[in-house]
Amino acid sequence: MKRRALITASLIAAGLIWAVTVGAMYQAVRRFETTPGRGAAARTMWPARSRIVPGRDRWTLVMLVHPHCSCTPASLQELERIIEMSGTSLQTYVLVYRPADFPAGWEKTETFEAAKRLQRTHVIVDADGAEARLFGGFTSGQTFLYDREGALRFSGGITSLRGHAGVNRGSKDVVDIVHAKAQQGTHPVFGCAIVTTTESEQRQ
Amino acid sequence: MSEIATDRESGIDARATALRDEQLRARRVRVDRMFVWLFLVQYVGGIIGALTVSPYAWEGKVHTVHLHVWIAVAGGAGIIILPILLAIFRPGTTLTRHVIAASQMLSSALLIHLTGGRIETHFHVFGSLAFLAFYLDWKALLTATVVVAGDHFLRGIFWPESVYGVANPEWWRFLEHAGWVAFEDVFLIWACVMGKREITESAARQAQVEHLSELEQLKSAALEMAMAEMQVASA
Repeated sequence: MKRRALITASLIAAGLIWAVTVGAMYQAVRRFETTPGRGAAARTMWPARSRIVPGRDRWTLVMLVHPHCSCTPASLQELERIIEMSGTSLQTYVLVYRPADFPAGWEKTETFEAAKRLQRTHVIVDADGAEARLFGGFTSGQTFLYDREGALRFSGGITSLRGHAGVNRGSKDVVDIVHAKAQQGTHPVFGCAIVTTTESEQRQ
Repeated sequence: MSEIATDRESGIDARATALRDEQLRARRVRVDRMFVWLFLVQYVGGIIGALTVSPYAWEGKVHTVHLHVWIAVAGGAGIIILPILLAIFRPGTTLTRHVIAASQMLSSALLIHLTGGRIETHFHVFGSLAFLAFYLDWKALLTATVVVAGDHFLRGIFWPESVYGVANPEWWRFLEHAGWVAFEDVFLIWACVMGKREITESAARQAQVEHLSELEQLKSAALEMAMAEMQVASA
């Protein structure tokens, strides 16, 4: 009789755990996936102190990447689609973060290799996120699009959620701007933090 | 005479029903046990997947254990604890089957999430439906389908990008996804009905054979008794 009561009590407890787990899990995942990273504090023009030279005869796209961020492969998938749809009118730079005191090779992840496979794309290792600070970006996946005059036309992420590739307003805006169907664009960015301070904040 | 025949037939029917129920229950207990192992394998697989795909969350050069790992460990355990306990302590019952069906679909949703929404992981849903069909209980398939459709419906309302990739899908979009599940269901439900019918027919044949065997034994016993009486009389 006691054993029967114990089993019934265990099953009721397991049922409660089951229901609470399902609810809590949905809530946790939802919060995680829909919470964007820190938006960029980008200047309206190409940062003069950057060692990257923008294309004067084409659009220049810069994406910041944390090589170990598990959400960033989705951003690179979207970037691949943008590059395909934009053709040769777009020059792309992917800046891969690496802490200066970390050994060389730390950044050579699958994400790094995926970036290297992109067409018409230069992959540059960004020591300590110095370039990211110049561009005013904080979050992996942050994308900047500059026109031929060096004016910023798009700043933001190109995925709809953390780690979710697929059609979204950010990537659509970039393609539309390149094809002169839109003027400006911005979109939340979803990814791991690369740096936490801008260049001016760091100087202070 | 006809009353005796009716009693005999109802006796055979009752025996056939008992045999069918016994066979179905034995089969369903076996499937419950199979799901216990499947849940454990999926649990370990989910943790390995999380550790492989997204072990850490990063902030610059600082890393912490990724939320996906905690979800695989705690969420995965929370999903499987009830069906496993039911399979152990209430094997073969209707409640156990339906909880297993719902939990298996939730496991699919968890694995899809842990693998970053990979389209390939969505095949887990279809494989799971096929496993659930082993129960030969089409109602368990309906429970699984309702869970899948409910998951898509609710996420479609509150969090559409996670399931459709776009922020403003049509309201009926969840029906399109559930429709593919229903497509498989049609054939699996048919297989369940046919499978159960075969077991019913097999049980009826077995009951008939048992009955004939009993009659033969009775006849043999009566014959032996008659021969023994004749021997006594002739002596």
